[in-house]
Amino acid sequence: MTTATAPLAAEDLSLAYDDRPVVDRLSLAIPAGAVTVIVGANACGKSTLLRGLGRLLRPRGGTVLLDGADIGRLPTREVATRLGLLPQQPVAPDGITVADLVARGRHPHQRWFRPWSPADADAVAAALAATGMDGLADRPVDELSGGQRQRAWIALALAQGTDLMLLDEPTTFLDLAHQVEVLDLLARLNAAEGRTVVLVLHDLNLACRYAHHLVAMRAGRVVAEGRPADVVTAALVADVFGLAAEVFPDPLTGTPLVLPVPSAPLPPTP
Amino acid sequence: MVTVRVPGLGWSARLDLRAAAVTAAALVLALAVFVWSLAVGDFPLSVGDVVAALLGGGDRAGRMIVTTLRLPRGLAALLVGAAFGLSGAILQRLARNPLASPDVIGVNAGAALAAVFAIVLLGAGGTDVTLAALAGGGAAALAVAGLSWRGGITGYRLVLVGVGVTAVLTAGTSYLLTRARVYEAQRAMIWLTGSLNGRTWDQVRPVALALAVLVPAALVLARSLRTLELGDDAARGLGVAVDRARGGLFAVAVTLAAVATASAGPIAFVALVAPQIARRLVRARTVALLPSAAVGALLLAVADLVGRRILAPTELPVGIVTAVLGAPYLLYLLARANRIGAAG
Repeated sequence: MTTATAPLAAEDLSLAYDDRPVVDRLSLAIPAGAVTVIVGANACGKSTLLRGLGRLLRPRGGTVLLDGADIGRLPTREVATRLGLLPQQPVAPDGITVADLVARGRHPHQRWFRPWSPADADAVAAALAATGMDGLADRPVDELSGGQRQRAWIALALAQGTDLMLLDEPTTFLDLAHQVEVLDLLARLNAAEGRTVVLVLHDLNLACRYAHHLVAMRAGRVVAEGRPADVVTAALVADVFGLAAEVFPDPLTGTPLVLPVPSAPLPPTP
Repeated sequence: MVTVRVPGLGWSARLDLRAAAVTAAALVLALAVFVWSLAVGDFPLSVGDVVAALLGGGDRAGRMIVTTLRLPRGLAALLVGAAFGLSGAILQRLARNPLASPDVIGVNAGAALAAVFAIVLLGAGGTDVTLAALAGGGAAALAVAGLSWRGGITGYRLVLVGVGVTAVLTAGTSYLLTRARVYEAQRAMIWLTGSLNGRTWDQVRPVALALAVLVPAALVLARSLRTLELGDDAARGLGVAVDRARGGLFAVAVTLAAVATASAGPIAFVALVAPQIARRLVRARTVALLPSAAVGALLLAVADLVGRRILAPTELPVGIVTAVLGAPYLLYLLARANRIGAAG
């Protein structure tokens, strides 16, 4: 897929915070209707790249293309009807209920003279149902478990009604069961509705399991991309994470399973 | 939340019933206090006389007392209270901090310095003092916003910078007072306490005009305010021009406070307390805008009536009453914030 036909793409994209360059002349095409996972070591620029793709950061150079058009030149509200994003660690206002939070996802579809339409109500109900949050609609968000809270935020992004969703580390600080719960939900949304999903993940094995397209980054550049089975090798893990590891096929799914090579003394086996 | 529909137009909106009820109740009470305040005084009138005078009937003395003496003052109390309440509600939500009210972030102190400067050094009075206060309040707000700006404005930074700027401005005001002659110092002190005594239509009109323009503006911008509460990134993701929306809300809040201060002096605590009372009545954890304005109007109407009558025939400036009522509430708020480890 080329950058011109991809739903979302970066061309020669450079991103920086103040004077600190983070992403350096990066080009990337996000495949349509697939789950793309961006992985890399801490501070490699993966979250910065996602913020750049979601027009939260203005590029220092290059462009981000949304359906082939420069995202920086599109009205931000129009972008919001086509691209939804879930920031890392979003904050819900104190005491807000799940239904009220999800309703705020309808903002780009509303105007001051048209504050709340039946279409808004339908979209919110559908988003709550799709995320299994309909039973918790009237509960305050701050009383939910970590996994439920993340599902509420995903419901907000769903209510926004965009074909493209960007999620920045949606599983961080969740235990393994809740990580799987969130990723299963995203995989279902992708499979059932053909939404294009882009997420940043820390866990390489879960990334291999859920990604159709894996993007590995190091120091602000893409070092490999493609199907996980094609790109994840011991050499890549050493290159990207600086970790000695071996890669096996996952006995459950056949996707790559990365196991670190032990280097420290291990606890005695009985 | 209920959905309200206008079938013919295909228009619908969501309405928080409790917020609507609190707003309506506060407005009805404020209106009752307002009518009562037109009746009581050194020349007591019956409510019937007041209504007759308002409608252009009754005797001439009653008409004169109601329409030229008591009506502007009563209206000023309602409008200034509403302006302070709305201003405080917007700032507290914008900064996510219950201490972020116009009196804390320097608007009142700026208005005070400019007004005292005009009274003491220029010998100004009447409308000139009002205009000076308006300019001073606006300038102080711009200075605080400029000094707090660091690629965006965070609540804590705004409050801390505001406290610092307020200290500098208050020092300036004190210096001017020490240099002033006794007569001017006394005029300045009365202005500084915040008083509705002797308000005429000249002070009512600007506040009425400001509210007529800025309340609708605030309600339109409230949509963006709801998304700004989700954090800057989430708000941008939902298509909000974050800096423009925040700047617009800040400008609305500061203008309301500056106009109110210019008309009635730096009345303490109304902007701080009204949103917090409204929030507890609505049982919302976020501050609601219209209930805050209604509670502000009620609060100031009651405070002015108390100030007028409690030591009658001597009058207490309304600023003293609101401070006496507001300070303990502020202390309670701070103690509570300390206990739960957050300023919420």
